[in-house]
Amino acid sequence: MAYLTTFFWGWLLASVLLGFAMGWISVVQHGEGVAGKLRWALSALVAALIGAALTRIVPGRFGYWLDLGLIMFALYLGGCAVGSWLRDWVVSRSAPSA
Amino acid sequence: MRGLFRWSGKWWLGVIPLVIFWAIAAWTSTEPLEADLAQRSAAALKDTVLDKRRISVAGRDVTLAADAFSEDGRQSAVTSVEAVPGVRLVDDETRLVPEAKPFVWSAERDVLRVTLSGSSPLPASRGRLMEAARAGLGGVEVVDRMNLSRGAPPRFDNAALLLLDQVGKLKDGKITLSDTQVSLSGMARELGGREAIAAALKNLPEGFSVAANEVKAPPYIFQAYKDPVAVTLTLTGNAPDNNVHAALVAAAGRKFFSEKVVDNLKESVGAPAGFANAVVPALGALSRLSTGTLVVSDREVKLSGDALYENAAAQIRAGLGKDFPQGWQFKPEISVKPAAAPVDATVCQQLFAELLGKARIRFESGKADIVADSAGLLDRLIETALRCPTANIEIAGHTDSDGDEAANQALSEKRAQAVADYLVKAGLPADRFSAVGYGPTQPIAGNDTDQGKAQNRRIDFVVK
Repeated sequence: MAYLTTFFWGWLLASVLLGFAMGWISVVQHGEGVAGKLRWALSALVAALIGAALTRIVPGRFGYWLDLGLIMFALYLGGCAVGSWLRDWVVSRSAPSA
Repeated sequence: MRGLFRWSGKWWLGVIPLVIFWAIAAWTSTEPLEADLAQRSAAALKDTVLDKRRISVAGRDVTLAADAFSEDGRQSAVTSVEAVPGVRLVDDETRLVPEAKPFVWSAERDVLRVTLSGSSPLPASRGRLMEAARAGLGGVEVVDRMNLSRGAPPRFDNAALLLLDQVGKLKDGKITLSDTQVSLSGMARELGGREAIAAALKNLPEGFSVAANEVKAPPYIFQAYKDPVAVTLTLTGNAPDNNVHAALVAAAGRKFFSEKVVDNLKESVGAPAGFANAVVPALGALSRLSTGTLVVSDREVKLSGDALYENAAAQIRAGLGKDFPQGWQFKPEISVKPAAAPVDATVCQQLFAELLGKARIRFESGKADIVADSAGLLDRLIETALRCPTANIEIAGHTDSDGDEAANQALSEKRAQAVADYLVKAGLPADRFSAVGYGPTQPIAGNDTDQGKAQNRRIDFVVK
């Protein structure tokens, strides 16, 4: 993992920043979120992909791309969480004073 | 926490650029990543001895195909690649190098090149053998047809290197090492090469032995050429040692009384048994020819040339082979020189005097037996006698003054008669010759010196 990180850290950073930006926006954005059922289906898909990656059943380049995608997705989610939480903290601090 | 769950429903929008990022990352990083992993895997295998190693990388999966020389080596190669950072899976396509049984290695030499073939235990051995062959054979093309196998006997390298040294001593041939058995065939480059190879094979490493040594020596050649124009006898080729060399030159000097002996012989080992005993009589036969060549090749004696008269040719053809040691062959190609023009008696006398001035008919000491060395001279005397068929000739025997006069008288008569008999046997009519003994009564030099006495012991031909 350490090796992969050194190899394409730029793309991982980009994923984190993208996630952070999306998280930041999502707190104040008005609009529909993903519906409940779809959310579960997507979660199951991601879980299946993680399972495939851990059991290493996808061979060759596809296996590598899967790993890469999941790592980027995980960092994106991490970025989103941090972004949303920070925005929420900023918003909640400024609201009483306003 | 609840807020995080609510907000996360809106995070999907970012997945679209994320997927684009992912596609670009996959597009740009895959090939460099594969190249990097291939290079690291190769570096990890640097110290592992493998043959036909192929490393291919798809994503992070490495396919390793190679021939290993031991099970341990094979497993350690796979483990080394697995331990390379970034490698996800190793597809193990390694196998053990096939075992050769028997383990056969050979070096074959022909006119143009040396070919190494068969099995070699490790790439390093193979390289060492090729290097040794190139260095030791000086400029000869070396072709590598060896493959790698397991199952080499211990100390294989040392044995093979020693055998490669022997290939240098062959003109052509093949040396085969089958397990620990060495077989050799072919032709040695030089006389003595066969013996040198046999001696070197005694130094084979422990456990190795010679199963068959069929290396042949090149033919042992001796040649003598009698040149009537330059009046020389040229000896070329080989003589076994100093003594035989000197003996051959001395014999040539005695038998060829008017020719200058040019000695180009060199001494080398490997002469067939009975060499001197065959060559000396063959030189005697050559001395009876007007022009001719003697070629001795191993145990085959070829004599070609022109005899001076018909009977001499017949005698040489029939007689020489009998003088040879066991196992020697005689191949005569003797023709007869065309008879010289007849001359009158006076010229005949001059020719006799000229011949007998150059050399004397020689006898065993105190006896009337003509020695074989005088055959050449007698043939020339007979040839001369044939040129004046009407002249009657007195064969006069003379002795020195040593010893009893009556005995000398008798000896001179017997010797004269022996010469007359020789001429008759050669086909001349007996009535043309009269054998007369003069004892010591007609000296041509003083009897007070050995040299003078030697001159007085003589046979003269006097045309009547």
